[in-house]
This record gives sequence, structure tokens and C-alpha cells, in this order.
Amino acid sequence: MKHAARFLVVTALLLGVAAARSQTAAVPPKAEACAACHGPGGARSLVPAYPILAGQTARYLYLQLRDFQEGRRSNELMSPMVAGMTRDEMREISEYFAKQKPPVQSFKTDPEKARLGKLKADETLCTMCHLGGFAGQNEVPRVAGQNYDYVVKQLSDFKARKRTNDAGSMTSVASTINAQDIENLAHYLSGL
Amino acid sequence: MQFNTPLVQRRLSLAVGAALAVIATGAFAQAEISGAAAPTGSPVPKSVSVSQGQLDAAGADGTNFLHSNMNYAQTRYYPATQINTKNVAKLKPAFVFQTEVLESMETAPIVVDGIMYITTSYNHVYALDAKTGKEFWHYKHKMGAVTTYCCGPNNRGVAIMGDKLYMGTLDAKLLALDAKTGKVLWATQIADPEAGYSETMAPVAVNGKVLIGTNGGEYGIRGFVKAFDANSGKELWSFATIPEKGHEGVWAVNDATGRNMHRDIAAEKAQLAKSSDFYKTLGGGVWMAPAVDKDSNTAFFVVGNPSPDLYGAERPGDNLYTDSIVAVDLNTGAYKWHHQYVAHDVWDLDAVSPVILTEAKGKDGKMRKVAIHGGKTGHVYVHDRATGELIRFSEAMVPQENMWVLPTKDGARMLPGANGGVEWSPMAVNPKLRLAYAANLHQPMTYHVEQAAYPGGKLWLGGAFKVIAAEKQWGRLAAVNLDTGKLAWKFDTEQPLIGGVLATAGDLVFNGEGNGLFRAFDAKTGKKLWEYQCGAGVNAPAVSYTTGGKQYVAVAAGGNTQLDFKRGNSVVVFALP
Repeated sequence: MKHAARFLVVTALLLGVAAARSQTAAVPPKAEACAACHGPGGARSLVPAYPILAGQTARYLYLQLRDFQEGRRSNELMSPMVAGMTRDEMREISEYFAKQKPPVQSFKTDPEKARLGKLKADETLCTMCHLGGFAGQNEVPRVAGQNYDYVVKQLSDFKARKRTNDAGSMTSVASTINAQDIENLAHYLSGL
Repeated sequence: MQFNTPLVQRRLSLAVGAALAVIATGAFAQAEISGAAAPTGSPVPKSVSVSQGQLDAAGADGTNFLHSNMNYAQTRYYPATQINTKNVAKLKPAFVFQTEVLESMETAPIVVDGIMYITTSYNHVYALDAKTGKEFWHYKHKMGAVTTYCCGPNNRGVAIMGDKLYMGTLDAKLLALDAKTGKVLWATQIADPEAGYSETMAPVAVNGKVLIGTNGGEYGIRGFVKAFDANSGKELWSFATIPEKGHEGVWAVNDATGRNMHRDIAAEKAQLAKSSDFYKTLGGGVWMAPAVDKDSNTAFFVVGNPSPDLYGAERPGDNLYTDSIVAVDLNTGAYKWHHQYVAHDVWDLDAVSPVILTEAKGKDGKMRKVAIHGGKTGHVYVHDRATGELIRFSEAMVPQENMWVLPTKDGARMLPGANGGVEWSPMAVNPKLRLAYAANLHQPMTYHVEQAAYPGGKLWLGGAFKVIAAEKQWGRLAAVNLDTGKLAWKFDTEQPLIGGVLATAGDLVFNGEGNGLFRAFDAKTGKKLWEYQCGAGVNAPAVSYTTGGKQYVAVAAGGNTQLDFKRGNSVVVFALP
């Protein structure tokens, strides 16, 4: 499984580089490889478990790259990608993706689950940090329109304390929600 | 937070991480106000120079105001008497100087030979005529790509020595500017802003050195006070506020006032046996100006909270020298003594308000040289200046309840709230009346704890402070007798007080409030003698000076972002008609 995934990534990487090059000349060199999984401009994820980067806050992207590099967040695909990058390169990449237009989400949300997800989001005061509309700010990410699978994975990882690089805010919040809440929240957020 | 603490917004019930809203990056929030590094305007039309002798004698200088806290002893007791209890009711604005930065003002203007130097949020500096308000030059610091700070883009002023001004910046640099032209003479990177270091304090210039600490107690820094060569910007010494060895201290059971802190010392010792390298991220910022005693060649400062603020399980021990007053050798930075107020702090009740050197009666009734500190705990602590011995602590200036209940997941209520007591606000003393004047806050809060690994230069509280919406907040200007520790008088205000105090030999005390009211009090009785509505929060310490035969009192009215007091952009300057 792992090998298959890696092969897929490498193949996609080559295709993605070409796609990214043809799109715009302003792509920072180190961002070209990102397109393999995250799509041109970070707007079309190869699989829904990979996040949309287009329109994400630059500060958040930069800090995540740095955390992958320094081991505070780990992912078998991302960790090797950022090894050896300089801070300036990570900043350039982050600012590039922050400037790209987020795509229209194609995931079909379940209206009832999305309704329940909104209720849970209101109760949990998510927008105190993520802002109204979940647009994000500074080091707090935009999650509006994010991929369903990715949102489920991250909330589940926070709940299981597999992801702990946010100083406890999300691990704390996630401890108060169950698997059904996570599903509902992901329906709500991906539909924004 | 710095914060610092800080991290509490008045109207928000602050969930973990909500304070992230105030973390800005240079690339975005400051784009419109972080301009070029070259000053605009014209040079000061005379030469500006301050000798070491003048700096030493600043406490008796009724003409200038040469240090952010007036003198090396930081007494903020201005010797001029033209404005006094008999005539202060007639005080009127002489001029208002408006900056172009509409954001929190915490600056203490300094005044040299009729020239005033002020700073603003985002590290602008202005040189102006202290008699007319005419602007000479304006310097805007070009901010680096990343700045990390918890509690507003504040700056508390410059230091001057010779013909140079010194300012610390939000991107953790120390700058030397030409006092005549505002040109940058050198810039030294003090520490890495990505790791949570930033500068808001006014430096202290002495004997060819510039002393400065750092913010960052909410980000897992390792705090310090450093001395830089005043001419070259080269680092001369650095005192780490977190020692590599011995930070566990004496496993203190009680705080400095003798109250049990409910530590599980056995569990802490077991944790320490597992790991002791957390000293690298243990916090301990020093974010207000040190006091200097030239006679004993000593610098005195207080050290801020341990990181993370509320989650203490993975930082066992007393966490020295957090929450302590520390004395070091001025020439070398070598440790002399310390006294810790709160060991293993999990409430962010750190030590911030700058140390004042004065005299007070010892327990035997004989006068002693002392170093005093106004705590977030609500006590004024009086120490022997040579040994650090705690001679006495004052009665509590604000309500204390449920101390020291440990933070819980759902929140435990304790008073004072995390801002104090006395926050960064400098106190003033009247040495004749033997009184210290302290600006206090009363903000009931609950303390919440959450396990949190070091997040790499991101905000790291390990929980949250939440204001209790149903409970009223207020402020209190308190006068404390240094010889007895008793409150001589108090003046309660509608809003929690943050900004600091000025006392004068005219037997006056000046203090401002977030609602824009700037007031003068009778230093003996606390009777309000005068007030003026400045139009924006007065959350900065006042200063005084004399030029053209006239005494002035100047104060910034820029509000405060941390407590969300109305922002302004003015320094208001008062004189008798």
C-alpha cells in the first residue's frame, strides 16, 4: 500500500510539474512539486485526503511547512518534501498559494449533516479563531470549502492526539466532539 | 505577555487560541504602516547630546526627562514644583501632537533640552519641539518578514546616551538612531522573531552599554537580559533568565507571602528525572526596563512567566528565575541574587512592573536601601538592595480570592486575574511621603489548563484565561506605605488600570484611565484635584519637563489593544496658563 502510494505520487509529481509550469510563470520553483498532489495552484487535490492550499493563509502554510521540517507535524509524503527547504523558500511557497483562488468544492454535502455540523460549530465557538465564514486568519487556517476527507482526518487526528502542533487548542476542542460530530462538521465546512 | 501576559481581552471570553488574532505578520497587517527605514522631515535644529553625568543626575533634573522611567532608580518622582497641589486645577492642554499610527500607545516620552522623542506602535519614532509640538523628524522602522508578539504592536520608548537614541523593535532588533536626524546608525538582531522573540520595552543606556531584555513568555522563548556596545551594537554580555542547571530551585512549597501553592512536588521530581532540557523553552521574558544602581554597579530587573503559561506538568521545578526579581553585575551580567515570588507559576501571575530603587525602613526601623516591585499578585514587595532579602510585602491592593487554586480543564476561578494586580505599568514613589503609587487591575477570571507540546514559536499558553462576564471589572490607583506595607489611600476607577504613574515634587500623582480621563491626585491623600478627557485611552505613563521656564506634563493617549480601550494617536501636553 505504501509503495503503491509512493508510485502514484511520483507519477503525479511529474505530470503536475508540467501542469503547473504551463499555468503561470510566477510559480516559485519549489512550489512546482506541490502541484503533483495539491493540483495546479494548490486548487485541485489529487485525492480528497490531500488539502486544498489555494487561498489558505500564508502564515498558516508557512508554519505547517516549518513544523513538517522540524518534526512537530509528520506525514510520510510531506516530511521528505520539505527537508532541506530554506525559510525563504517556505515563505515564497506559502505566499504563492495564499494568493491563489480557492476552487469550488465538488463534494456533495448532506444538508442535514451540514445543519448539525453548523450547530456543533456554533456551540464550539470555532469562529472565535477561524473567523466568521471560516476564512482563517494568520496562523489559524481557512477551512471553508476544504476537502471532506481531509477535514475528517485532521479532526480525528487532533482527537487522537496524533496531531499536536497547535499548542493544544484543537486537541482540546476535538476532545469534546465525537465521530458523528466530526462527520457533520466536515459536511458543513466543505460546503462553505 | 508579556501578556506578558496578558492575553486577555476585556470583552471576549477568551478561548485557547483566540488571542492568535493579535499575532500579526510583517507581510500583511503592517504593510501600510511599515515604511522605509530612512527618516522623513528635517533634523533637530540644534545638536543633541546627553552625557553620562546628566544620565546619572536625572533624578534631580527638573528640566529634562532623560529615561523612560526618569532616572536609573526608576522612581518617576519628578523634582519640579511649578505645577503643584495648589494650582493643578488650572492645568490646560498646551498642545496635542498627533502621530500617524492609530494604535495602542505605551510610550514614555523622553525630553532633552526642549526636544521630545516619542515612539508609537510598530516602532515609529518622532522628534518634536517640546514647547510647540512642531515635528522635526519621523522614523518608521521597516519591519522584518515575521513578527511574533502576543499583546499588541506596542513600544514603550527610547533610551538616549550621547547623541544616540536606542529602540528595540517588534522584529527583535536593537537600533541606534542619530538623535539629531533620526538616521539609523546600527541595527543588531537580538534574537529570532520566528521563535517568539520581540521587543516592546524601552532599553536602558548606561556606561557605554545598552541593556535590553525580551518578550516571548507566551511562545516558549528562553529569556535574557543583554548588554550591547552603545557605539557598535556588538553584544557584550547576556544573562539567561533560565539557567541551564538549577532551574528547579528549592522546590518551594509556598509563595513569597507564605501561601501554599498546591504543588505536587513528588510528581514534579519524577518528571524532572525524565527530562530537564525544557529549560530551552521555559520562557522568562524581561520586558520592562531594568533599574541601575551605579554605586554598587548592579542592574535589577524582574522576570516574567514560565512557558507554557498554564500547563506546568512538563516543566517541573521552581522554574528559576521566572517570576523573580534578579540582580546582576552591570559590567559582566554575572548573577548576584534573586528572590522568587511565585515558584512553578501556572497562572501567568508573573513579575513585570519595573523595579524601583529607593529607601524604606527595615524591620528594625532603620532606613535601608531597597529595591521594590509591584506584583500582578497585588502586593508591593520591598527587598534589601544588597541581598534581595524580602523585608516586607504590602497588604493586597486588590481582592485576592482562592489563591492558589490550580487551573482545571473546565476553569478555576481565582483573583487576581492573569493581568494582576499591577501589570507592566511602572509605579512611582514619593520618597518624602514614603509612598509608592501603583496602577492596578481587577479582572475576575477562570484559569483553564490543557496539555500542550511546544508548538515551535506559536502562541503557547497550555490552556486559557477567561474573564467572567458576569463579574464587574475595575481599576484601583493605590498608595502603599513602604515602611509599613499598609495602604495609605486608594482611588477606584471604572476601568482596570494599565499604563503607569508619575509622581512629582509638587505633591502630585498623575495617572490615566482607558476611558480617556487623565487625572492628578494629592499625593498625600489621594484626593482627585484635576482631570481632563483626552479623547482616547490614557494607557501610558506620564512624564514631565521644563522648557522656556514652564513645567509641562505629557502623556500619550492611544488606548490599549489588549484591553480594547479606545485607540488614539496623540501625545497630550499640559501646562499652567
